[in-house]
Order: sequence, then structure tokens, then C-alpha cells
Amino acid sequence: MRQALKQYNFDWMLWRTYEAGSRLLSGTKREYDIALRYIPYFRDPVKEVFKAKAGQLFLQMTATYLDNIVNAHHRGKKTCMTTFCFSPAILYALDIVPVTLELLTVMMTFLYKRGTGEFLDYCNEAGFTETSCSSQRGSMGALLADIGTPIDMVVTDSPGVCDTNANAFAFFAAYKDIPFFQLNMPPWLVEERVTQYHVQDYKALIAFLEEHSGKRLDNDRLREILRELQKQDELINELEQYLCYKPLPLPVTTCLFIYAGRFMFAGMPIYTRLLEMLVNEGRENVKLHQQGIYTSKEKSRGFFCYIDHYTHSLRLWQMLEELNIGYSGNILSHFWDDSNPPVVHNNWKEAAYSIKTQTLEDMLTSIAAINSRMPMIKSIRGPYDSPYMWLQDTLALASMYKSDFIVYNGTPGCRNTWGMVKLLAQDTEKAGFPTHIMYADAFDDRVQSWDATRDRFEEFLRIRRLI
Amino acid sequence: MFEEFYTIAQSINNEYIVKAKEHGALCIGYTCSYFPEEILHALGIIPYRVKGLNVSSLSVADAAFGPFICSHPKCLLQHFADGDYSFLDGIIVTPGCDSMRRIDECIRKTAVNFNLPVVPPFFFHYTVPHKITEYSVKWLVDELQRFIDSVTKHFSLLFSYEKLKESIAFYNRMRKRLEELNALRMHYPARIAGADAFAVFVAGLSMPRDRFYSMLESLLSKYNGADFENRRRLMLIGSANDDIDFIKTIESQTAVVVADTLCYGPRLDIDYVDEEDEPLHALALRYLNHSHCPRMYGGYKQRLEKVVGAIHKAQVEGVVLQNIRFCDLHGAENGLLERDLEKMGIPCLRLEREYGPMADYERMRMRIDAFIERLDVRRIVNTRS
Amino acid sequence: MIVAGCDIGSLTTKVVLFDGKKVIASSIIKSKPKPEDGAYEALQQVCAIATVNQDNIAYCVGTGYGRKRVPFANDTISEISCHTKGAFYLYPNVRTIIDIGGQDCKVISLNTQGEVDRFVTNDKCAAGTGRFLEVMAKVLKVELQELSNMAKKGNEAITLASACTVWAQADVIKYLNEGISKENIALGVCKSMAKRVGVLVNQASIKRDVCITGGVAKNTAVVKELENLLGVTIIKITNVDPQLTGALGAALFAYQKAGGK
Repeated sequence: MRQALKQYNFDWMLWRTYEAGSRLLSGTKREYDIALRYIPYFRDPVKEVFKAKAGQLFLQMTATYLDNIVNAHHRGKKTCMTTFCFSPAILYALDIVPVTLELLTVMMTFLYKRGTGEFLDYCNEAGFTETSCSSQRGSMGALLADIGTPIDMVVTDSPGVCDTNANAFAFFAAYKDIPFFQLNMPPWLVEERVTQYHVQDYKALIAFLEEHSGKRLDNDRLREILRELQKQDELINELEQYLCYKPLPLPVTTCLFIYAGRFMFAGMPIYTRLLEMLVNEGRENVKLHQQGIYTSKEKSRGFFCYIDHYTHSLRLWQMLEELNIGYSGNILSHFWDDSNPPVVHNNWKEAAYSIKTQTLEDMLTSIAAINSRMPMIKSIRGPYDSPYMWLQDTLALASMYKSDFIVYNGTPGCRNTWGMVKLLAQDTEKAGFPTHIMYADAFDDRVQSWDATRDRFEEFLRIRRLI
Repeated sequence: MFEEFYTIAQSINNEYIVKAKEHGALCIGYTCSYFPEEILHALGIIPYRVKGLNVSSLSVADAAFGPFICSHPKCLLQHFADGDYSFLDGIIVTPGCDSMRRIDECIRKTAVNFNLPVVPPFFFHYTVPHKITEYSVKWLVDELQRFIDSVTKHFSLLFSYEKLKESIAFYNRMRKRLEELNALRMHYPARIAGADAFAVFVAGLSMPRDRFYSMLESLLSKYNGADFENRRRLMLIGSANDDIDFIKTIESQTAVVVADTLCYGPRLDIDYVDEEDEPLHALALRYLNHSHCPRMYGGYKQRLEKVVGAIHKAQVEGVVLQNIRFCDLHGAENGLLERDLEKMGIPCLRLEREYGPMADYERMRMRIDAFIERLDVRRIVNTRS
Repeated sequence: MIVAGCDIGSLTTKVVLFDGKKVIASSIIKSKPKPEDGAYEALQQVCAIATVNQDNIAYCVGTGYGRKRVPFANDTISEISCHTKGAFYLYPNVRTIIDIGGQDCKVISLNTQGEVDRFVTNDKCAAGTGRFLEVMAKVLKVELQELSNMAKKGNEAITLASACTVWAQADVIKYLNEGISKENIALGVCKSMAKRVGVLVNQASIKRDVCITGGVAKNTAVVKELENLLGVTIIKITNVDPQLTGALGAALFAYQKAGGK
């Protein structure tokens, strides 16, 4: 890594940038326009985010998340490195600050043209494999190089779901010699034995967190967070209804806001506010018959069966807008509570979670169930064609959103999905959904340039007469 | 002396399996060293650790698996597709790693998509936790019970704990013998080539175990030992390997592999199953605790300790850390081992390779030669001082 | 006493004649499908230059990927040891050698005695090797040697998919079709190459002085970019062709083995 890059902590730089970005709309329209002239580098991502009314709040939320990380130790809090598919609610209940690698990677790739390239490479320099998933490597490189907030403990819940994910966290903990905890996920979901395992594992997690944070779990605080989560689920479920409308009454970035917010602040009021704002925008647009795509009419609708493409300037979303493609949701924006529309519609209650807050045992069972149904944790823990797994979820969601086609996008590091995506695509094609597999890396344009990715995507759309 | 072991280790099927099957024996394959063979043995089933040797094309495997997958499971799948595993009456798929566990879907779908009879009649997805706690051991005990219930029902077999205890005792005796074999290569100077020892280990995973036991006993009683005094003593660490030619490439005329942590190998310590404990619990404990695989996340320090112990015990001069491309578990752990072992003054060579026919031979050879030359210089410097 | 070093690489075959004091002749030719043929041709060339009879060569060490195929070699030694030997002979202060050959890249760390301390090599991919530059030069329809000068004229490097040569090639073609200047593409190619090599160098943890050997050492654009990335000055071998370092090291080993000091 270049010496110059080690001069400033990367999380601090991100925090200041997002903080500044979140204040851009605080002045007049004229001031905003002038400000954009002075930030050529960040102009595009800012404009894309602000297309949604909730954009400013989204940036504020991101800045707050980074503020928490950067200032955690000044405020006497411990930091916990974790993963996007681990619900941070329990960390907030114990007043521990989550440092979610994939979120930090995306925050950086959104803003910088060079993405996280040098941090990705630094992992390799430190001995980690370059074939591992870029979603973790992007920010882990900076933390390995000590240019970020020091990490006090590491928690991951991907063992049994995603090796490269779990392995990244295990590597970091061993490299830095810091405490490590893993939640394990058996390959199926609906069985008492599995539920018991989740709960026991979760109790061990809490003991670990208590030991290394020096805090005791406060039942009232946990109850408050779970109730907030209930509220958030209700709002997401209302949003889901709007997202099923055709044409789409919400901006194409809505789905991103839903899952990114949940990964950052599950159970925290700031995320509830974001969802409320999105719901209000949805309600209003439905009432006014207003579309979410601002360029023209929605011509086609896609379902991304895995993750989105996160490199510079939110250009995936820009492209979808330019091509007049509606985008309602993906695997990441689903959390599977018992009143989630696909759960209700398909009568999948046995695979869903419900939140109960009466006793501590109720709460622990609920939070373990929430966690074991996080995106990716739920859908790819077992064979893709097993009940409640990837194929079933993909087909149900693509149908619910009235999608015209399905796209797989991931990273070459994703051993798990690359081990079955070709088979999945055959099945989704058979089910009537034209399916496109992107060979790009969602976090690293150096694997396949965005231009090439876009060209191939557009070629697919044209050949299959989708635009 | 080792010819028969080589023949068995280097082919998929062998005459012992053919004969046993002619007499009505069942043979069940498994993909990962976390499965206790003792259970199959107790049921009179031949356990078979599936291998990926000698694949010449990956036509079907590439169609099922994506491009970013380790070539070892791809080769396994190709063998299934080519009908090479048609002698298996069953297969046990384990989430040893992500690439390996997707064999589940890939075999099943290959059968459908290519209309091939590649799915063995008995198919079992056996799950193993990634850590050792009271509840994860309990999970594994339940999983073993689930397996017993499933396999006995499928083949209408009778299971008895007495038989299982006998099998556990038999396997412990076999481990004792393997330990003797292992001691020959750890001896200074090594008394057996690493490739020869490895051929025995791999053969032992590919044939009826009682027959293997008698072959092993006979070998140990007759073998006089060779002398490998002038060879550099290497330890081999990393991704799964069932390919004897790979060990031969490393050894050539200049080195001898005296220890390894490889899947298919003896994995450092030959741990025994507690014969006093309740059998399933004893098996679950032994298998969760024993295997030296980075799939057991958070266990790096213990693994490092074992490696260092073996290095001292076998007087290892250099460590070869290899991983098959896309095997991130071993690849990343090799990075940590390289850092820590080099810090202790133990020279390491890190290699990334493809599994399969050694198309990469020259590149590999050059790196190994250079490493041996580095060790030679070290020997001279040590002699000087 | 005259000794020889013969280095058969994937792209070129090199022979050096050494008389105990200096290199008396050297030759670089394209490797042949049969490595033996290339070795003979290169040997004949150097013998002609130095007017030496082949029979008068006291000892020969073969190195490189084809080292086992040098018909007239008395012994073989890996090119990692040979590059180390050659570079240390030329620059006794060198502690890190970056050797970028046709099909792989190596970073060697030396001790004060000039012995290999540690080395790291790239994976089996062509990215970060001479082959990468060769492929890109072909796409740009220029000679490999021109790539460097072309890159120096570039002012706005294109970004290239650097993880895979095939994808990078597709990107280059696309940029050409878009009318981006060849100079800027060449600069992007060299930067991408340098980045790839830089990661490897950092893995080996760099010690000064650093020198570069192998064919890619002649591409000054890549070397300059590497210097920027690593923040060190890289010594360019000027007294012999950097591509000959391995063959020179082999000749030095040959001299030792033949009893010379």
C-alpha cells in the first residue's frame, strides 16, 4: 500500500465526507447547485442518492454510523467487527459499536473512483488470498493496515453459510490476535433441533459479548430494540406493497435504502425514521400516480437474486433509471418476519420469525430467529433447491414484484453461490424468467470493468427483448 | 512392496471393492474427513473416501459449477458424471467447505440435466458444526444418529452399539499401526519416502478396511526401511490432496516429506476414539477435535501449536504451504502460518496450484527447487556456525 | 577458464559466457518449441561472438523453465538462485530483486552474503508477467519494445481490469473502439502491470536496495510506476542487459562449480 494512503484513517475520511454530503441540502437550491460544482468527484453519487426524498436522511444515517465507529473509543465503547448478515441489534442492546466490513467497503466504493483497490490488495500483501470475497477485503485491508478504528472483538454468523465470509473474520482475528466468536448455521431452517441450536449458540454469543465488552445485557434495552424492530418490520411490509405496484411508485434506490439501513441500524430509531420517510413517499406517489423512475416510463422490471453492483456513483441504479428498468427488491432486502408479504402470501410462517418480548427467553428466541433469517443466512445455508432456500425465495420474490427478468451479480469470491448459480439460472429460466449471470465483481471494477458489465447486461436485455 | 498400495491409491475402483461387492457388500462414499468411518464399518459397509484423480476433462463439472470454484470438487463431480463412481451405493456430502458441499446440488442436477444415472441410491447431507462446544458436540451426536437411522432404513440393516464398539476398537488398532508407519517418515533420517507413506494412507481410505489392516501389518513386519539422509526434510500443509504424484513432485530426488496436515493424510496426531465413552459421543468428540482443517474457524492458534509441535518432532527443515486456487480456507491460513513460522525461523514456501493432472509441473518444480536451494544454503550456514 | 550459463525462459533463451572476470559474450533469442534447439542456437551465437570453441567451455549451468532441457549443461539451478547470484554480482548492495519474466514474476529477498533469504512468486495467472504486456502490445498492434515509450507519452491512463489478462484484453479492445489514444491505453497497461507486481513486492516486505531483472526491466514505464507505488528507487541494471541476469548467475555458479573462485 502506498505510504500516502496511510496518512489518514479511512473511516475518518469516510465519516467527514458523508457528514459533509448529508448537509448539502441544508441550504438553498442555489447554494446546493454551486456546492456541486466544487465536488466533481462526489457529485454523481450525491445526485443519485438525492433523487429519493429520503436521500438526505440516508446520508445522515450513514454519517452517524461512521461517527459511532470513529468515536467509539473516545466515548468509552467497544467495537465489534462483524458482517452485513449479522443483525447488529444485539450489539446496540449491549452498547457495542458494530463495524460492518461490507458496509464500509460499499461506502467507499460508492464515493471513490479507485474504489477500495489498494485495501483489497493490502489483504493480499498481508497474506490473505486474493480469491477471497472483495466485500470484506475492501475495508479489512485498511483495518489490517491499522488505518481505522481499532477493533476489540470479531463476530460472524456465516459459518455454514459462506466460507469466504467466515474465513475473512477468522483471519482478521488471528492476524490481530483478538477475541473471535462464530455463530454456526445448520443447512436447513425448519426443525426444532435447528431452533434449539440457534438459541444455544446465541446465548453463547451474548456471554462472549458481555465478557469482552464488560457490559451486562439489559433486558429493558433489548425489549425496546426488539419493539423498534417490530415497528421497522411493519413499515417494510407496507413498503413491500408499494414495491409490487407497476409502474414502481418509489425510486429505484429504495431497496438499497431498506437493506443498508437495516444492516446499519436494526432496532434503532434513526432507521425507523428513514423507513417512515420512504413509506410516506410511497403513499404520496401512489395517491398521485407518480412514478419512481424519473426519466420515463418503466419498461421492464428486474429482480436481483443476490446482491447489487456497488462501484462508483451508484451507477447500477443510474443505469437502471437510464434504461427505464424498475427495481423493487432483492434477496438482501428481505428479513422474513411472519407478516412479510411473501411469507403471508405463500403461507411460509414456519420459516419466518416472530418477535415476542414478554420474557427474556422469548426475546432470546426471537432475536436468534431474526438473526438466523438474515439475508443470505436464510437463503443459501442449504442446497439451493431445498425448502425455503434460494430458488424458492427467488421465484417467489421475482413473481411477487412482477419482475420480467432475474439477474445474478456477486463476486468471484463467492464460492457458495458460484457453486450453484448456473443450476439456479437453469431453473429460473425454466420457470419463465430470462436470467442473466454477471461475471463482475460487485465491489471491484478491476475484475470486470463497469463498462464491460453494462455492455453485457444491455446485450442480454436486447437479445431477450426486455428493453 | 508398495506397488499394491500405489495401485489402489492411484485408481478409483479396485479389485477388493469389486470382489466385496460381488459378495453383496455395500460401499458408501464420503467427501470429508469429519465423517466417522467407524459407523459404516459397524454396519458392514465399505467406507470410501472419494477421490478426484486422473480426470481428463471437466466438461460436465464446468457446466454445473461456476468458474471460481476449486478444481478438486470439480474433478469429483466429473468422475460421478463419467460413471466412475457407479460402484458406490451411497454418498455422504459434508459442508467441509462451500465448494465441496455444493457437490450435493451439482450431482443431483447433473443427473437431471444430462440424464445420467450418477446419483447413488443413498444420498445423505451430513452436517458438521464449525466449533467445539457442548451443544455442537450434541448436534454431531444427533447427526450421527440421524445418519444411522437413515442408512439402516434405506438398506434394511441392523445397527448395534456392540458392533460399533468393536469397530471403534478396530479403528484404534489400525490407527496404532498407521502411527508406526508415520513414525518411519518422521524418523531422522526418514526411513520411508513421503510418497510411499502417502500411498498407504490413501489406499487405506479406498478399500475394505479389514483387508487394508492386514496389508498394513504385513508391510510393517516386512519393511526394512530406506535411507533418506541427504534429502531436505519437508512438511506439507494445506488443501486436500489425494494425488501421490504431487508428493513425488515435491520430493523429487532432493527432499522427503516427513510430516503433513493434509486431508487424506494422517493429519499430525493420530487421535484415538475413547473406548470407555458412549460410542456416538466419543466419535463426535474425536472427529470434531481431531481434524486439522481451517473450516474450524477460530482454531488457528491450536493448529499452529500442533504444526510447530510436528516440526520439532519430525525435525522439519522447511514447510511447503500449498493451496488449490479458490481454496481460501487453506490459502488464508497459509498466509498466517507463513508469517508466524518464518518469524520462528522456519523457512516456508507458499504455493497456489490447480488440482488435477500436473500441467503446472514445471512452474511448481522451479519453486520447489529454489526452496530446496534456500534450505541448502541454510544447512551450509548452520554448519559454518 | 570459460564457463557458460544458459537460461531457457518461456519467451526467450539466453546464454552468457564468462571468463572469471567479465562477460565475454551473450545472446538472447526467442525460445523454440524444442528448448534444446534454442539452447544450441544461442550457444552457437555466443561462441561465434567470442570466437570460442564449444568444447572449450569448462562448465555450464542451466536455469529457467527449460533448465532440464539444456543438452550441454553439467548442472541445473533454479532461476531464483541464478537471478540472485547475477544481481548480487552486479550490485552487492542489492537486498530485494524483482524479476519479471515471460510467464511469472518473483520477488527475492537477499541476505548480506547474497544468498536467498525468502522469495515469493505470483500465482499461475498471466497478469503481472511479461506475457501480459506481450498480449496487450499485440492488441495495440505495436512491438513490445514500443509499449514503454508509448506509455510515456500518455497523460490520462485508462483503468483496466487487472485481475485477468483475458478481461483486460477485452477492455483494451473496447477503449480502442471508443477512440481512446493508444498512448493512454499503454499507460494504463503499464500502471495495471505495476500494481499487480507491487502487491507481490509488498508481500515480500521490501528491503533496500531494490533492483529489477528480467525482460520487463526494460519497460521503463512499468519500472517508473513501480517506483511511485513502492516509494523506492529501483536500480536499473545497465552494465549488462537485465534480461541476462539469470544466465549470468548461472555462469557464475558454473565458474564456482568448475573450481574458479
